[in-house]
Amino acid sequence: MNILCNFFDFIPKELKKFLQGLLSRVDGLHSILITDRDGVPAVHVANEKAPDLAMRASFLSTFGMATDQGSKLGLGKNNTIICMYSSYQIVQMNKLPLVVSFIASHDCNTGHILDLEKRIDPVLNQLKNAVADA
Amino acid sequence: MGCCYSFCKDDGSQQGGEANERTHLLADPVGSNTSIPRVHSDDYVNQYQNSAPKRTDEQSALNRILHETAANIIDVGALDSHNLEQHEYIERSRTYIKRIETSGIRVPDLSFCLLKDIPAPEKVLASATLNPVDKDLIMNFLHNSVLALENVQVEHKEDLVVPFLS
Repeated sequence: MNILCNFFDFIPKELKKFLQGLLSRVDGLHSILITDRDGVPAVHVANEKAPDLAMRASFLSTFGMATDQGSKLGLGKNNTIICMYSSYQIVQMNKLPLVVSFIASHDCNTGHILDLEKRIDPVLNQLKNAVADA
Repeated sequence: MGCCYSFCKDDGSQQGGEANERTHLLADPVGSNTSIPRVHSDDYVNQYQNSAPKRTDEQSALNRILHETAANIIDVGALDSHNLEQHEYIERSRTYIKRIETSGIRVPDLSFCLLKDIPAPEKVLASATLNPVDKDLIMNFLHNSVLALENVQVEHKEDLVVPFLS
């Protein structure tokens, strides 16, 4: 993970600043991760309160499978899964081949997190090309 | 011996109708109807040309049904996460970062809030309302202040214009 942290130093500053801006906009939001469906991060920003366990690929990758199975329940395609824990909430959005994960405190306003979707969408469309062929 | 007899008897009376070593285990309407086709060799070609797509059509239809069913089944067992190898994880992540660097991503403007001087306006706006007791206190002070201001009167005891040199 430390090696990865060094990798992320090379992420374009504008992109990191943009995500950092989104992070600071929502009170209680700890981390934003843009990963592939296996949980490998393409970009991520986090503050010191973000739990390490929730940022691991083994945790993030479960969404890819859960959203596939959830889409078979007869209510159409699954777009977002919100998981509430005792201290945290995880909001994950299906933007395949990308997955956007928001990690926040349990009392964070979930509506504010969901509202970030339209802010982050233009960036995702550009990032998809980077992940699609890899 | 009895078996042999009955076999021979049946063989003579209704050839192909009873089960024997040449009978297909699965009912095949195409196979049962074509006992000895009396056709020319050219017709054989035509017949196979017609039947081959039929078979593939049937096979593809079955495959399609299989795939559709497999896709619609909610497979909880498939939820077991497969962990990536560490080196694969690092390699893939490195690839993504390189691609992001080279692609030159344009970032949209984030200034979507009118209250730019307040970093988290929703926190201020959503804060708890004022305590009614405090509100009454403030209102009382304000009311008294207004009253006091209204009652301010100038009582002049001396002349407004005073000669300096008398």
